[in-house]
Amino acid sequence: MARTLAMFTDTSLCIGCRACQVACKQWNELGLEVPEWTGGYQNHAHFTDKTFRLVRFVEEPAGKPNGDLAWLLMSDVCKHCAQAGCLEACPTGAIYRTEYGTVNINQDVCNGCRYCVSSCPFGVVAFNEETGTAKKCTFCNDRIHNGLGPACAKACPTDSIQFGFRDELVKKAAKRVETLKGMGFKDAQLYGADSGGFLGGLNAFFLLLAKPSTYNLPADPKLPQRNVVVDSLLSIGSALAVGLGVLLAFRTRGKGGPDA
Amino acid sequence: MLKSPHWEMMIVWYFFFGGIAGGAYFTAAIADVFGTARDRAVVRAGYLLALPLVAACGLLLIADLGVPSRFLNMLSTFKFWDPMSIGAWAVGVFGMFSFVSAVLSLSPSETAARVRRRVGLVGMLFGFFLASYTGVLLSSSAMPFWSDARLMGALFLASGASTGIAAITLALFATGHAAGEGWGKLKHADHYSIVVELVLVLALVVLLGAAAKPLTAGPYAALFWGGLVGVGLVVPLVLDLVASRARTVGALAAVLVLIGGFVLRYVVLMSVQA
Repeated sequence: MARTLAMFTDTSLCIGCRACQVACKQWNELGLEVPEWTGGYQNHAHFTDKTFRLVRFVEEPAGKPNGDLAWLLMSDVCKHCAQAGCLEACPTGAIYRTEYGTVNINQDVCNGCRYCVSSCPFGVVAFNEETGTAKKCTFCNDRIHNGLGPACAKACPTDSIQFGFRDELVKKAAKRVETLKGMGFKDAQLYGADSGGFLGGLNAFFLLLAKPSTYNLPADPKLPQRNVVVDSLLSIGSALAVGLGVLLAFRTRGKGGPDA
Repeated sequence: MLKSPHWEMMIVWYFFFGGIAGGAYFTAAIADVFGTARDRAVVRAGYLLALPLVAACGLLLIADLGVPSRFLNMLSTFKFWDPMSIGAWAVGVFGMFSFVSAVLSLSPSETAARVRRRVGLVGMLFGFFLASYTGVLLSSSAMPFWSDARLMGALFLASGASTGIAAITLALFATGHAAGEGWGKLKHADHYSIVVELVLVLALVVLLGAAAKPLTAGPYAALFWGGLVGVGLVVPLVLDLVASRARTVGALAAVLVLIGGFVLRYVVLMSVQA
């Protein structure tokens, strides 16, 4: 297994230019979409089958250290979770992990059942009507296998999106959080950097300037499959209860005869 | 934030038919092993209902895929922790059991009956699975409400039982077997499964608390309370207990149970994906 690659998105450096969103669309030939105006500059409201990098514009009253309105910008992307709900859900094996730790959907194998779409705790995976398959950020799978980094990281003019080996990026990120805290951004925090944390850590992790819920990110996302055992046991219990009832109904030789 | 998988009417029908197929099969299997020779009509009806229904299930599942021609790709993997993966296999295996049991149920011979009972005991496990696994599939996703519903699989199973038994009841009524001893036993079994289903529906709602809103409040509430709980469960139960001797009433009650079973799956699926 090669060294794990990662993308570190430092939202404190994002200027909302959306070069990343455009570069992603260009490199992956994702095609035109009708704009979805959300009341702000953000377009679209959420990931789609043709938008894998999405710049979020969050207005946070009193978000700045001096109490002024802050415009929190975040270039959101598939998190390439170390424990990925989409991957565990896929019944065809189309969703796989590369040797770099990134998560990819094989477009030749996917049969479009959409279970992965419903299994991502972040709502990243989307269904494409034209191909009939599920789509999401590929971590520029073709580029990373040819010595290049993802298109979004390459295009970012402020180095808000950094690409490299995960362990090195995590160290850089930790230092950056301390610097920001020193500057007065007391809520500066990493999201998904800790491989002992939720979902085994995210291979696309973030530096946020406010708590996750401010960015509509789940504070403690979990693998949806963790419930399979309990839910199955409860179903077995129901089967026993129901089966027993039917058994008893048929064993008693028709209480009171055929008119019972 | 989260994305809907857009499992719509084809999947509603799949869940509904799968519940009936599984429920009819395991009822038939239990009647075959634990009942008497006079329950044969129940056994035959159950197995003969299950087969075309599970075939329809297979077709619906394949047709709903984004790329139907690739449905066999699901048989390239087996992830025992993944309801979608096991389900893909189980539908096929259950289909095979249904076929064998249906054929054997048409034979009057004692040898066929002996084989049929053994096959039924194993096949019924797959029947239980088919009726319930789709609930576990929903509750193991990340979707709000579904992911909170620990009892969804258990509830789907009870509904599979009540609708399967109701379907057999209607089959007996339609083919003139309503005067047999099996009818009374079916009615007992149906009362019991309706009560279990009612308990599970209420337990689900109570345990979900505020998360139950998509079902209990909002645009689907009328269908949920009126269509499922009222028309689909309470009314048929009361009808049966009050007018237990009238076959037509019994058949009507069965129709209502079937409607309720459809409504359950419809509201569970659609209320989250509006």
